[in-house]
Amino acid sequence: MSVMSRILKFYLNGNLVHVAAGEADTLLDVLRDGLGLTSPKCGCNHGDCGACTVILNGYSAKSCTILALTAEGKNVWTVDGLANGDKLHPVQRAFHEYGAPQCGYCTPGMVMAAVAFLNHYPSPTESEVKEALSGNLCRCGGYKKYVQAVMAAARGEFGPLPEGSVENV
Amino acid sequence: MREYEYHAPESFESLVNLASGDGAEVRFLAGGTDLIPRISAEKNQIPYEKKLPMRIIYLGTLGLDKVTEEGERVTIGACCTLSSLLENEIVKTKMPALRDALSEMAGVSIRNTATIGGNIMNASPAADSVPPLLVLDAVCALRSASGERRVSLAEYFTGPGKTVAKPDEVLVSITVKPGPGGSSFKKLGRRKAETLSVVNAAVYLELRDGFCQSARVAVGSAAPTVVRCVDVEQALVGKKIDEGVVREASLLVTKAISPIDDIRSSAWYRARVAPIMVARAVLTAAGRKRG
Repeated sequence: MSVMSRILKFYLNGNLVHVAAGEADTLLDVLRDGLGLTSPKCGCNHGDCGACTVILNGYSAKSCTILALTAEGKNVWTVDGLANGDKLHPVQRAFHEYGAPQCGYCTPGMVMAAVAFLNHYPSPTESEVKEALSGNLCRCGGYKKYVQAVMAAARGEFGPLPEGSVENV
Repeated sequence: MREYEYHAPESFESLVNLASGDGAEVRFLAGGTDLIPRISAEKNQIPYEKKLPMRIIYLGTLGLDKVTEEGERVTIGACCTLSSLLENEIVKTKMPALRDALSEMAGVSIRNTATIGGNIMNASPAADSVPPLLVLDAVCALRSASGERRVSLAEYFTGPGKTVAKPDEVLVSITVKPGPGGSSFKKLGRRKAETLSVVNAAVYLELRDGFCQSARVAVGSAAPTVVRCVDVEQALVGKKIDEGVVREASLLVTKAISPIDDIRSSAWYRARVAPIMVARAVLTAAGRKRG
């Protein structure tokens, strides 16, 4: 909405992208409106609901609270970059197999919060998983299955978590 | 509707030139978890209000994200994220009250972005990092074109959202002297995560043979700023800390607070739970005594 805009360069799902960004645009604005990537959702635009969660330099972040231009040169991952060809990420498979998503609106954010968390804490307890997902609201109330699915992914039920640095998911 | 301009200075020299404003409203951006949603809301406001241009100056490229220890003093860079502090060994071992508070602030994703300096500069009476820093006698370092000055956190806040920092002054660090005593923090929120405090309390205690040598008590979200509760402190000093003494002393917290009704709670309820939070914090701190 702001009058001036600049070219922002950052790594999106491993690829360098150039995109116009307004000086007061959020990272979510740029992902959705600038790059047409609609997996991060704009639920509250206030940092409360977690539907816009992405992985920024290896850590989960709510993209509606990030000023786009501060992402210059950084690594951003969305759910779109997780699958390896047609092979889903273990967390995605776990969510699918456990029937965790209901309406699905919170799911991309939930996946990213879970993936970032498992990258840092590969063998969590259930209460740690609950804390990791506590910033992601699910209005269908599907919390229990999300937690079960993350625990299953951590146990390796859906194959080993991808190797590689946290930076690269 | 207004114009926005964004700058990410890499040195203080270039920041100082920008901070003068030149007719724009200067806002320093650290994590942005408070400021950015506020800007987004402002952009979508109808009817549009004509406002001064906003100059957003990003502080994330200045290297203010380190924790250093020098003798008894620990200096926390203003741009340390809450997550990085939560995992910091110095914070974990020497400032349990701050660690407690960080672990209860927002949720993981916000903590990965939000900074401690931002929590202080936002100057919310409900800021969870402030009561622990207050009982740990924190001192803030403010830097501007005219140099650096240090202000005790106890004199830092002048009202909700207001601090003594001038518009061109940047909070660069917070210095704490952890001391030999035990400390703790208790928060009452409306739910467990992603919530602002209804009332919170932090306590620092030094004990000898079970007797209280010195006490510092702070309560948040119950007055226009976080407040020290001198009456509670005086009622604790010299006493043997047991549940009866603590319960009696904690009731004096009502002398220091002036709670209001708002969307999170009522003044009535706040006045009733504040002593309980103080009592719990005192007992936890007493159990953590060092030496």
